[in-house]
Amino acid sequence: MIELNDVTKIYDGQTVPAVESLDLKINEGETCVFVGPSGCGKSTILRMINRMIEQTSGTITINGEEVRGTDPDHLRMNIGYVIQQIGLLPHRTVAENVAIVPRLHGWDKDKICKRVDELLELMGLIPEETRDKYPAQLSGGQMQRVGVARAMAVDPPVMLMDEPFGAVDPIVRSHLQDEFLRLQTEMRKTICFVTHDINEAIKMGDTIAIFTKGHLVQHGTPQEILSKPKNEFVRDFIGQDRVVKMLTLFQVRSIAKANPCTIHEDELPNIRQKMKEQQARGCFLVDQSEAPCGLIIAEDLERESDASQERLKELAFSRRGAFIDQHLLLSDALSYMLEWDTDYLGVMNGQDLSGVVSMADIRECASRKEGD
Amino acid sequence: MNWPRMLDALSRIPHDLSIHILMVVIALAISIAISIPVGVLLTRPRYKKWGIVVMNILNVCQSFPGMAIIALAMPILGLGLKPAITALIIQALLPIARNTIAGLNGVDPGIKEAAKGMGMTPKRVLTEVEVPLAMPVILAGIRTSAVLVVSMGTLAAYIGGGGLGDLIIAGLNMLWVEFLLVGAGFGALLAIAFDRGLRYVEDRLTPPGFSSI
Ligand SMILES: Nc1ncnc2c1ncn2[C@@H]1O[C@H](COP(=O)(O)OP(=O)(O)O)[C@@H](O)[C@H]1O
Ligand SMILES: [Mg+2]
Repeated sequence: MIELNDVTKIYDGQTVPAVESLDLKINEGETCVFVGPSGCGKSTILRMINRMIEQTSGTITINGEEVRGTDPDHLRMNIGYVIQQIGLLPHRTVAENVAIVPRLHGWDKDKICKRVDELLELMGLIPEETRDKYPAQLSGGQMQRVGVARAMAVDPPVMLMDEPFGAVDPIVRSHLQDEFLRLQTEMRKTICFVTHDINEAIKMGDTIAIFTKGHLVQHGTPQEILSKPKNEFVRDFIGQDRVVKMLTLFQVRSIAKANPCTIHEDELPNIRQKMKEQQARGCFLVDQSEAPCGLIIAEDLERESDASQERLKELAFSRRGAFIDQHLLLSDALSYMLEWDTDYLGVMNGQDLSGVVSMADIRECASRKEGD
Repeated sequence: MNWPRMLDALSRIPHDLSIHILMVVIALAISIAISIPVGVLLTRPRYKKWGIVVMNILNVCQSFPGMAIIALAMPILGLGLKPAITALIIQALLPIARNTIAGLNGVDPGIKEAAKGMGMTPKRVLTEVEVPLAMPVILAGIRTSAVLVVSMGTLAAYIGGGGLGDLIIAGLNMLWVEFLLVGAGFGALLAIAFDRGLRYVEDRLTPPGFSSI
């Protein structure tokens, strides 16, 4: 657990504090994302935690131990630190870079070698190919991965990450975020993660701390921040699509309803009857192997009351993409609904149709989460 | 061309050249031993503020003509090899110190931040990160000094330092072209040799994995 009590930092020669009277608690195993406009003091806070700089006043403790009482080099050896510039040593190979902290800890050679390969693999790099390369021979994404591997080398319980995925393009960034989230669900490290990107904050954070001009404005779970922005600044910082952003917090399966109404091609003439019985507004066409291949919605039937079997099939096929993986997010579901012009989507569990999600469910979810 | 005189000049080369090399090597070694630690010290946070002062002093030394330094060395230090070497050291200090400071200051702050942030002690950061990364720039400074000292060394003969300057001064006094040619020619060759040799060392000592610089 990391605790900051009434921490203030005024840089030499400046009068305005870079960070002022900050109280913040980060629980064990939690990722707290510091977010805010550039220059609001995020990096300053991070650098005080591992004593790269000293606070002007206040106390910072890690697991109850005040950091100012510890040997700074020793403290840093036991805290993972990733910065935006990555800072790989250009004259050392990838393996040597990753081995820096284990070497400082005095590990023996075999143990270091094994750990290096393990880490490279963990970060999605092929050890045989990357181990002996120099940083200049790597792509931006690979460097970023080596930077994270290096910070995790001795499996430190606390990690400080200052815009760790800031230097790569959006696609690679999104990959790295997903992979890191997957690792973190197993590692449960205590992480301070700095970003200026609210979307990254929502994605990565167990809690989000929003800063402006050296002050903490709001600290809470993504859901709290999105549903109850404390003031105009937070509201503006989140943006106009606040509710859509909130939908990114939920997977489709969390609101999907089981037992979707399905129909085989030869039953199509009875579709009205069937939908009425099941009180369904959408009915999924399935083939002989029960694989879903289309969707008919109630509006189709109302509009074309005398549609032939052929026409019904055609209508069903026109929504052949109205199916969504259960692990995708409600915001994705919204996009699918707009794309396929339907209020209903089939929810897929692998190859099987496992449920249905409707626009009404999403609206209810959004308003419920906002209400409570 | 007077061949016997030419042979006379050439026969003096082993002695004069070895003195010259000795002078240059000692002067270089001592100025390296002074300049690099001074450069390192002046890039440490505690002494950074002295950096500009010291650089200004060295810049002033540098702007003295070589001849003036040699001339000033005589009344203070007397005649002989030692005062000559002292004069050379003064001239050689600046390029090395300046490049050491520039090289160390030029190391990417992100790399230093990461190294410190991983728990490397300041000493380790200096020896394992900063110095290796600044090495190409430092060596370029040494090369500049070497060439400077080789050519300045010819003036050392005026205060009894010996070396190739002896030949050149004799040539000038007697208007013997052969002595001038041999003295100046070997001086030039020596400068080229030092430049080439140090360039080779530079290539060998440049850390692998460097794409730029
Ligand atoms: N070493 C420093 N010396 C003086 N001022 C600094 C220093 N580092 C940061 N600052 C100032 O402190 C404020 C906060 O900086 P920083 O923590 O880097 O912001 P952020 O990481 O949120 O962009 C800025 O106004 C910046 O100019
Ligand atoms: Mg920053």
